[in-house]
Amino acid sequence: MVFDWSFVARYAPFFVNGTLMTLFISVFGILLAIVVGLVCAGIEIARVPVLRQIVRIYIELSRNTPLLVQLYFLYFGLPKLGVVWSAETCAIVGLGFLGGSYMAEAMRGGLEAVPKVQRENAYVLGLTPMQSITHVVMPQAISTAIPGIVANVIFLFKESSVVSAIALADVMYMAKDLIGMYYSTYESLFMLVVAYLVILLPISVLGTWLEGRFDYARR
Amino acid sequence: MTEPAQLNTDNTVNDEAVTAFETSGPSPTSDCKGFEVRHLVKQYANADKPVLNDISFKVEHGTVLVVLGPSGSGKSTLLRTIAGLEPIQGGTISINDQVIDEGRPGTEKAGRSNRSSALRTRIGMVFQSYDLFPNKTVLGNITMAPLLVQKRDKAQVEAEALKLLDRVGLADRKDAWPHELSGGQRQRVAICRALILHPEVLLLDEITAALDPEMVREVLDVVLELAKAGQTMLIVTHEMQFARAIADHVILLDGGHIVEESHDAHAFFAHPQTERARQFLHTFEFE
Repeated sequence: MVFDWSFVARYAPFFVNGTLMTLFISVFGILLAIVVGLVCAGIEIARVPVLRQIVRIYIELSRNTPLLVQLYFLYFGLPKLGVVWSAETCAIVGLGFLGGSYMAEAMRGGLEAVPKVQRENAYVLGLTPMQSITHVVMPQAISTAIPGIVANVIFLFKESSVVSAIALADVMYMAKDLIGMYYSTYESLFMLVVAYLVILLPISVLGTWLEGRFDYARR
Repeated sequence: MTEPAQLNTDNTVNDEAVTAFETSGPSPTSDCKGFEVRHLVKQYANADKPVLNDISFKVEHGTVLVVLGPSGSGKSTLLRTIAGLEPIQGGTISINDQVIDEGRPGTEKAGRSNRSSALRTRIGMVFQSYDLFPNKTVLGNITMAPLLVQKRDKAQVEAEALKLLDRVGLADRKDAWPHELSGGQRQRVAICRALILHPEVLLLDEITAALDPEMVREVLDVVLELAKAGQTMLIVTHEMQFARAIADHVILLDGGHIVEESHDAHAFFAHPQTERARQFLHTFEFE
């Protein structure tokens, strides 16, 4: 079989559209995951009764079920309960639901790694609890949590390929479609790999830069 | 700012040190009495007896109290209750006759006293583990609390921070990050960080215990100079020679009680009155 560059040239615009859809779903899904993670990590660190148990159950449920199953539940299951969401909403909520637990664990690890004496110093110096969090605890927690958070971001971008299963025209969906229609396996997979690399390489580089920027607490 | 009242009359005050360390803080008023702890009780939730039981003592303004005792005697807990890091279950803690903390039963499980931010800045503390804030430079560490808590002018605070750093011999390291400093240097910065708030009392909790031996001296010299400048201090230390040199007043804690108290440090070290004190001091002697 010969690699057909003209096919690549002809269908590249499809992949651009698919890439944009992947970016759209992933960016909002990851933002949701970060918010969910922050809230959950905060609840766990503050040892809020009841909510803390709920967070634990959520984390176990989210980490131990596949994203595909979560998406099916949202897309095919919820309508039976009278809740009908668009495929985009399901995809974003699904990624947020899955990513939230991973983010929560990374952030909790970062917060727990801040030595107690740091907060004691802040207290003795007169800082309010809020100032202690924003000026002392959070910067150090971020420093420890950044590598885990960056790894989760990359993981979630890749995991977004599953949304093609609920008929969202992401970059994975384009590749499967073209293979199905034209048997253009090599060309389509080639464009798929290029599309993911175009998205993820800059993020990976950015992540490495962030780790360097915030690495003071680990030195 | 006038010079602090010098109650120990036998030493000549180093004027330079006074101006460097005692700046425009809350000036001691004429009826200034110093720092006092009365009938302090510290009880933890699951302990059968209190960690500190009926502790009372008074530290005159401008003097140094050294707290000695074996490990587990409650020395560190005493400093932590004074700093507000642990709520107390009985007694009072006061500065210049103003009660800043009062024993409240039922707080055995609580993590902190409910002292206000402003009250906390009146008592400074330096810990054993030389922990600066790793996310701030040396200057950032020192200026953080005056800027955030006291809302002082940035230029003025930075100028004062530089003066303090110069005094501890670290002016050239103002832009360094904590991880670039040695343990002794970090402790000297931690002292500056406490001093810039002009605390009426400075608590030092075994500040040289975790340092390499060569670095102990540079830190203790700074503390000696502070004492000369009239900084009121409560010091927990295992450096007996240093304790003897700096103390105006010594208490020996054991099992949560004061077993011996002396206002003549030289006499205490030379001729301890109680058997327990003799035993304790003997463990530091080598023939």
